[in-house]
Amino acid sequence: MKSPASASWKAPLKFRMPTAENLIPIRLDIEVDGQRYKDAFTWNPYDPDSEVVMFAKRTVKDLKLAPGFLPQIVQSIQSQLATFRSYEGQDMYVGDKIIPIKLDLQVNHTVIRDQFLWDLNNFDSDPEEFARTLCKDLGIEDPEVGPAVAFAIREQLYEIAIQNVTSARENRISKKGRRAAEHFTPSKASGAALDLMKLFSFRSSVVRKRKEWDYYKPVLDLLSNEEVDALEAKEERSGR
Amino acid sequence: MENKPRHDPNPDSNRPEEPELDLYTIPSYSSWFAWNDIHEKERQALKEFFEGSSISRTPKIYKEYRDFIINKYREDPSRRLTFTEIRKSLIGDVTLLHKVFRFLETWGLINFLAPPPPHEGSENDDRVRVENGAPNGVRVVATPNSLRPLSAPVVKGKNSGDGVEESGVKLPPLASYSDVFGDLKRLHCGSCGDNCDSGYYEYKKDNFIVCDKCFKNGNYGEDKSMDDFELKDCREKSAANGTVWTEAETLLLLDSVLKHGDDWDLVAQNVQTKSKLDCITKLIELPFGESLIDSAKGRGNSSGTSMSMNGIKPVVVPSSEDQENIINEDQGYDGANENENNGDSENQEPPLKKKRTASPSDADSSIMKQVARISTMVGPQITASAAEAAVAMLSDEMSCPREIFYGDHIDLTNGSLSPSIYQQERAHNTEESEIKERSNPSVGVLPVLIIIIICKKIDSLAESQETHPKKSDIPLPLRIRAAVATGLGAAAAHAKLLAVQEEKEIEHLVATIIEAQLKKLNSKIKHCEDAELLMEKEYAAIEGLKEYILGERINILRTTYNTGTSKLLEHSSVQSQTSNLS
Repeated sequence: MKSPASASWKAPLKFRMPTAENLIPIRLDIEVDGQRYKDAFTWNPYDPDSEVVMFAKRTVKDLKLAPGFLPQIVQSIQSQLATFRSYEGQDMYVGDKIIPIKLDLQVNHTVIRDQFLWDLNNFDSDPEEFARTLCKDLGIEDPEVGPAVAFAIREQLYEIAIQNVTSARENRISKKGRRAAEHFTPSKASGAALDLMKLFSFRSSVVRKRKEWDYYKPVLDLLSNEEVDALEAKEERSGR
Repeated sequence: MENKPRHDPNPDSNRPEEPELDLYTIPSYSSWFAWNDIHEKERQALKEFFEGSSISRTPKIYKEYRDFIINKYREDPSRRLTFTEIRKSLIGDVTLLHKVFRFLETWGLINFLAPPPPHEGSENDDRVRVENGAPNGVRVVATPNSLRPLSAPVVKGKNSGDGVEESGVKLPPLASYSDVFGDLKRLHCGSCGDNCDSGYYEYKKDNFIVCDKCFKNGNYGEDKSMDDFELKDCREKSAANGTVWTEAETLLLLDSVLKHGDDWDLVAQNVQTKSKLDCITKLIELPFGESLIDSAKGRGNSSGTSMSMNGIKPVVVPSSEDQENIINEDQGYDGANENENNGDSENQEPPLKKKRTASPSDADSSIMKQVARISTMVGPQITASAAEAAVAMLSDEMSCPREIFYGDHIDLTNGSLSPSIYQQERAHNTEESEIKERSNPSVGVLPVLIIIIICKKIDSLAESQETHPKKSDIPLPLRIRAAVATGLGAAAAHAKLLAVQEEKEIEHLVATIIEAQLKKLNSKIKHCEDAELLMEKEYAAIEGLKEYILGERINILRTTYNTGTSKLLEHSSVQSQTSNLS
């Protein structure tokens, strides 16, 4: 590409999940004959497509869903995979970007709210490991919480990665014909990116002020059965 | 892991204004750590901070992270610091922070005195149980439709360095496989668990079989439909109504096996009237068919149908792999050979084998004891082949036993069998003579092997006696006596050889020791002589100096005397001078 204009400029990479393992998040929400199936999981986009069908069959069988679910599940997964693939060949700008990731999810009886920073440029990052550590440190015993946390992280990363691609594309289009350096400031990409200059400069410290500590620590709530039911009912009402 | 004080305590301080320093313990392997500095280890492990690639990763930032985390831990060293506690207080990528955290934890700079984390795996242990081996009802086969169970191939000649070339003596693997999987020959239905004695149905896609009854009842598990099952008749059935082998055919079969080895198509062609499957079946059923296959193609094959061998089980023989072990013991080869030879076997075998390979290398017990112990663990085919090999070796030296052993081979009633056995012996002979040249220690186990061979022959002879009239003219007791005598003689000779060897070694070692001592003495003497020389030279030098000084003094006195001094002083000074000189 063109010569780098500043130290923070990085050559654009091909689109991929900015994590150690290139798994994409898949979300399903299907309703057939009054039965509602909601699920979220990570998928390896390099698995052959036959795996999708097998997975769908297995799911229908394990959860004892109506057979009408099968084609819908397959179709949904495949369309999400296709979306991913459509972005795949394109360039993605990954500058020095540290974004805040927020968690606000309810898994069975556990409610987690959390906020932390994630470096998009760190391709060794592993949402699953982070989720494991979080559950271990908080002493969460429900085995479903970890994957849900990892999934939420992945989903947010995926969104931002897609934004990167689209904005890189726009940028290229706008700069078409010009031989200027492809200097791409982080602040343009998304407003969520932090101003690194301010945070990591010589004068400031990387230790947060005490009053901010409570914002960035995880908040864990354990619900009782009634509260879970109440929440579910509320959700259904808002969903329908 | 010793504990090393981090700061020096100053209890009896003469400087009262200095604060009391606290003792923090860190492991001694972390003694490189210093507050004011970043060590090379840290630079290596956490390269991201030191490459200058990003404004968010600098050495200064790293130092801040590190110091904060350690200080946080030291606020209360007895509690375990978790990553979640510190990441809320630090700005930066959580993955990177976690890396720093883990680095400090591994080096014991934090959480060193804290209790270990609660083990979450323990509760999961109750729910999940790992089982070894294939589940009941599933048989592991080489190809989906074959009937022969799979066993591990024996790797050719994988000995260390200048070890023995195991060119032709390929023996079947440790018989534990047949012990363990022997009863899998009786097939179990996948759904009801009964033996499938009548015909059974095999699921085409997996290794799943159901017996006749279950199939008819439609009870064949989920996800399977009727047409996925294939009818396969039981082997017993087919064996019962099937093939009759004439002697000529058997002879032809054996010849072609020896010639073509594993290539069943060619074998089937030669034996025109019988199909490939029949050939294989027949060969397995033959008492020595196993060893034939092995010696012909050098691959282990055990199917457990060594019916005639079962009689010798109580009196068993160590494998020639054991021989190999003993051969290689001198080279310090740890019996890993056995493991290599059966490298691809099923899950159940490695644990059993590992246990076994420990014992042969146990050098304190005598060879006889080892042999006896190992022989109880090992099965029949190995005994047969190894014994035959051993016989060949000994027979080279002594002609009498040869007659006895080979005599009844020829007289074996089933005439078609003998030429092939003879061929086998010949093959073994050549290899064994090679091995013999290179290994003396193995001589010791031969006597036992010979005894075993006798028993095997007796057994096979006993069998043949049922169907054919006895033709052998060498009586049983004589054979036994000859075998025992040979065995004991060989053992005695071996022992004597060992003793002589030991003596020689002792003498050699003593000589070496004496030489070493003499050398030491010599060097000490030399050292003393050198010191003496040095001293003498120095003494001479000092003497010279003394004379010189004396000369100077005399000169001074002379000059003072010559220049003249006052009468009063003269007398006293000269007196004092002369008194000094004297």
